[in-house]
Amino acid sequence: MEFLKAHLLLLATVKIVMVFAVLAGIVAYLVYMERKVLAFMQARLGPMRVGPWGLLQPIADGIKLLLKEDIVPAGVDKFVFLLAPAISVAAAFTVFAAIPFAGNFFITDINVALLFILGVSSLGIYGIILGGWSSNSHYPLLGALRSSAQLVSYEVAAGMALVGVLLVSNSLSMVEIVQSQYKMGVWNIFLQPVAFIIYLIAAVAETNRNPFDLPEAESELTAGFHTEYSGFRFALYFLAEYTNMVVVSCIAVTLFLGGWLRPFPNLKALDLLKYAPVVAFLGAAAFILWLGLQSLVAMERYFFVALAAVCILLAGVVAIPVVLNAVQGIFWFTVKVLIFLYAFIWYRATFPRYRYDQLMNVGWRWMIPLALANMIVTAIVCYLVSVRPHSALTAWLGW
Amino acid sequence: MKFTELLRRIFLVDLIRGLRLTFSYQRPSATCTEQYPLERPRVAERYRGAPRLNNHPETGETLCIACNLCSLACPENLIVVSWERTEDRKKKLTTFTYDLSRCMFCGLCEDACPVDALELTQDFEMAHYAREGMIWDRQALEEGPRPTRYTR
Repeated sequence: MEFLKAHLLLLATVKIVMVFAVLAGIVAYLVYMERKVLAFMQARLGPMRVGPWGLLQPIADGIKLLLKEDIVPAGVDKFVFLLAPAISVAAAFTVFAAIPFAGNFFITDINVALLFILGVSSLGIYGIILGGWSSNSHYPLLGALRSSAQLVSYEVAAGMALVGVLLVSNSLSMVEIVQSQYKMGVWNIFLQPVAFIIYLIAAVAETNRNPFDLPEAESELTAGFHTEYSGFRFALYFLAEYTNMVVVSCIAVTLFLGGWLRPFPNLKALDLLKYAPVVAFLGAAAFILWLGLQSLVAMERYFFVALAAVCILLAGVVAIPVVLNAVQGIFWFTVKVLIFLYAFIWYRATFPRYRYDQLMNVGWRWMIPLALANMIVTAIVCYLVSVRPHSALTAWLGW
Repeated sequence: MKFTELLRRIFLVDLIRGLRLTFSYQRPSATCTEQYPLERPRVAERYRGAPRLNNHPETGETLCIACNLCSLACPENLIVVSWERTEDRKKKLTTFTYDLSRCMFCGLCEDACPVDALELTQDFEMAHYAREGMIWDRQALEEGPRPTRYTR
């Protein structure tokens, strides 16, 4: 028994290390993806000089940030100033403990997972407020105030939107929410479209991204709450921001888009979708080859050919039936999260920033009433269904 | 507010149109960036850049007849042509200096040249580490600038 306990702990530790390492890499390359996608949308090329197609740029950036001087300005509240970025990062990463990446891969399955996630991710705001306050400077303080006001207003709407999902799924556990979507045969987005849209908007606002990036509005507040930060601590804030993007994408995917399930998981006719990972790797290989052919430097062409070869190899590995079944969940989850992350960048390239009063207007006068109405209607419908399980209503809803 | 206007607002039509526009700009043909040292930039047809002293394409002898008209035409007086007389009293070019550091690329020398020997080409890579490098002698003028070429 003792051994088993130790063994479980070990397993959990291994999983945590895996998730942490992979996430750090993903976040680093998320920055690269953001710069690239943003550049293409603005008719530019983005980073091209560090490595082939700028692929080593995140590593160079990371090294630069680690080696820079960590300035602590005179007059700051030193303890809080040093602590604040760590709070942001810790809160952002802790959330992943409760997120199921696949049916066979999650760190823990807590029965109040959603509550846990909302609670911990809300703690991240302390990092921003404390950082802005302890900086003892105007811009960070204003940025922190805006950030807290924004987060409080949109957290309410997001929370109420999520309640709709809870009512439909009848559970707070992330794993069970996905499983309930499998049982019902539809993703929650089709049952709760309003909640999905509200959560989508609130998620952008909560991560302080465009068009809700008032807390770090460059033209108004220099860099907002992290104006006084430099070097490694600035990198921590950066990491926290991008990790939060991944977090809200993961939550949206799990709650609304069926988590690790493939599209229409109950339709036998679509079983062919099982081979999507193989196709994806082959497609990636083709894309990389196409990129390589356009490359102007001979060395880069060799690199791209090698990379394409690796992709084809991976496609071959994934085509093995055992591996194919094992990667199903993680593949679909990753694809969905990537679509969300892409959308974040897409918004940034498209929408101009809200004015502060507009932001509050949208939050309090539209989002919260809408979320409330959605919650009440959902509750009533769920109640009616539970009271008379075989009525015309349930037949109409197809449950 | 009209009903259609209301519907437009509720379904965020304008935002979606904006998103579609930015999405369409991702097509590779929309990219404007020229990767300059790797790619040669496209220079305008009538661009006037580095001067060149043309040689006869077959004999390889200079086309310049040392008439000195370019030097006279130059508003900056930056061209110095020197020559010697051959036995049959013909002018023969000895040295030709062109001070690029003072040149404004007006092209008057090019227009003045009666034999199309002096020409302003489309080359633009004329940077040097020292001022002296900007004064081009006859050999430099005949060879033109030699920037590093990158293999494609």
